[in-house]
Amino acid sequence: MAGRDNVTQATTAPCASARWQGNGLSDMRRRMVDRVATGLCWAATVLVLLMLFSILFVLVRNGVGGLRWITFVHVTLPPGQGGGLANAIVGSLIQTGLAVLIGAPVGLLVGIYLAEFTATDNRFINMVRFISDLLLSAPSILVGLFIYMIVVVPTGHFSGLAGALALSMLVVPVVVRTTEDMLRLVPLSMREAAIALGAPRWRVILFVCLRAARDGVATGILLALARVSGETAPLLFTSLGNMNWSVSPAAPMASLPVTIYQYAGAAYEDWTALAWTGALLITAGILMINITVRLGLGRNRK
Amino acid sequence: MTVAEKQPVPAAISVRNLDFYYGANHALKNISIDFPQGQVTGMIGPSGCGKSTLLRVLNRMYDLYPGQRATGEVIFDGCNILGPKVNLNVLRARVGMVFQKPTPFPMSIYDNIAFGVRLHERLDRAAMDARVEDVLRRVALWPEVRDRLHDSASALSGGQQQRLCIARTIATRPEVVLLDEPTSALDPVSTARIEELLDELKTDFTIAIVTHNLQQAARCADQVAFFYMGEVVEVDSADRMFTAPREKRTQDYITGRFG
Repeated sequence: MAGRDNVTQATTAPCASARWQGNGLSDMRRRMVDRVATGLCWAATVLVLLMLFSILFVLVRNGVGGLRWITFVHVTLPPGQGGGLANAIVGSLIQTGLAVLIGAPVGLLVGIYLAEFTATDNRFINMVRFISDLLLSAPSILVGLFIYMIVVVPTGHFSGLAGALALSMLVVPVVVRTTEDMLRLVPLSMREAAIALGAPRWRVILFVCLRAARDGVATGILLALARVSGETAPLLFTSLGNMNWSVSPAAPMASLPVTIYQYAGAAYEDWTALAWTGALLITAGILMINITVRLGLGRNRK
Repeated sequence: MTVAEKQPVPAAISVRNLDFYYGANHALKNISIDFPQGQVTGMIGPSGCGKSTLLRVLNRMYDLYPGQRATGEVIFDGCNILGPKVNLNVLRARVGMVFQKPTPFPMSIYDNIAFGVRLHERLDRAAMDARVEDVLRRVALWPEVRDRLHDSASALSGGQQQRLCIARTIATRPEVVLLDEPTSALDPVSTARIEELLDELKTDFTIAIVTHNLQQAARCADQVAFFYMGEVVEVDSADRMFTAPREKRTQDYITGRFG
C-alpha cells in the first residue's frame, strides 16, 4: 500500500554507488566512435556539396555569357558565324515531351499491373519486375542501338521519333518502379473499404489507389523526364542531330545533349561557349523540374 | 451450440453449417447463427476465434484472397450468397461493412460518400447533395462538416472519420451493416457517439458488430454471440448472456477468466 509517508521517506543519496558508474573505458570509446563517425559523415557531405557546387559554378561561369537572345531564337550555324541553339532547345523539348507521352502511360500501366495483380501469377510478375529493373540500369547507348536496329534501319533514316522512342524506353522503367512502389504504399484497408462498398476492381484501382498514390506517381513521371532530358547516348544513333531548323519528328532532329556533345569537342571557341550554355540550360531545366516536384507536389501532402 | 430462444423477428441473414478455411487452417467450424432483422447482433470472444472471419464471409470479402474458402450456407434474401452466381458488387452494396481503422478515401468528404452511391445509382446533383446531407445528419457529422464538404476527408479527427465511414456505408442503402471493431481505435467520447448511432441505425438496418469490449456488446446489442476457437458457443439476448450464461466457457470469458 502506497502511503503518504512514503513520499517523505524518499532521500537523495549521492549518485556514487557502483550502479551509477558506467564502464569508464567503453564509455569513452563510445564517445570517440561517435565523434569520428559524425566527423566522417560531415566530411562526406561537404565533399559531395563541394563537387556539386563546383560543377554549378563552372557551368554558370562559362555558360552565362551565352544566355543571349540570339541563342534562343537562332539555329546552330557553322563555326565563326554566330548562331544559337534554338533548334536544339526545341528538338530537346519535342523529343523528351514525346518520350514521356509514350513512356509514361506504358510505365503507369505496367506499374499498376505489378502492384495490383499480384494474386494472379507471381512468377510472371516477378519476371516482368526483374526485366523492368534491368532496363532501369541498362546502358543507355544499348537502348539507342536497339532503336537504331528496329526503327532507323527499317525506315532508312534517322528521325526525332526514333530519338523519342529511345528516350521513352528509359522513361518506362522509372515510371514502372515509382508507380508500383507508390501503389504498394496504399494500405490494404483502403482497398478493402472500397471493395466493401461494391466497387469493381478497376474503379478501386483508378479512383482510390491511384488517387491516393497520385503525388508519388506524378513525381516519378517528372523524375523520369528529368532523367531523359540529359541523355545523349540514346540519341546519337536515332535522332542524330540536325544543324537546321526542323520540328518534324519524321526527320533527323537536333537536341541539346547531342549538340553539346558535338560542340564541346570542337576546336572552335564560339562552339565551345555554346556547349557550355547548352549544358547550363539543361541543368537549369532539370533543377526546375526537381523544384516543381518538391514545391508543387509536396504542397498537397499532409 | 445452443439454439437461441425463439425469435419473433425474421432473420435477415441465416448462417447454416458454415465452415471456413484459411488454407489448411479450419477457422470456422460448423457455424449456424441467425441475424435477426432490425436488431444488433454483437459478436464477442477472444482474438482469433473467428468473429471477424464470419463477418468477412457475410459480404464475401474473403473472396479477394486465394486460399480462403467457405462451405455451408449463408442465406440472405432467399439466396445462398456462397453460391457461384452471386454478383459480389451487388451483395456488397446490400451488405455494407465498416472496418476497425477509419479508412477515408483520399478525396473530399462529399466525394467519400458520393463514391459509393455513384457505383450503384445515377443521381442528379440535387439528389446527390440531399443524400450526402441525409447520411451525414444521420451519423451526426453534418453540423461539423457542413461548411467544408469539399475539403479533404483526411483532415477529420479519427472519430469523425469513422462516422464518415459509417455514413459512406449507409449511403448506398444496404440492408445489413457489418461493423468490425468500429470503435477500437477511438477515444471514449467518439466511441459513445458511435454506440448511440448504432441504436438509431438499427431501425433501418440489420447490424452485426464484432467487439472486444464486453460493455459495448451489453450496451448496444440485442443479441450476443460468443465465439470460441472457431465455434459459436452460445447465442442469446444480451441480458441473458451477461447475467445468466448457459455455458461454462461463456461464463469464464465474460468474467475475465480467460481470453
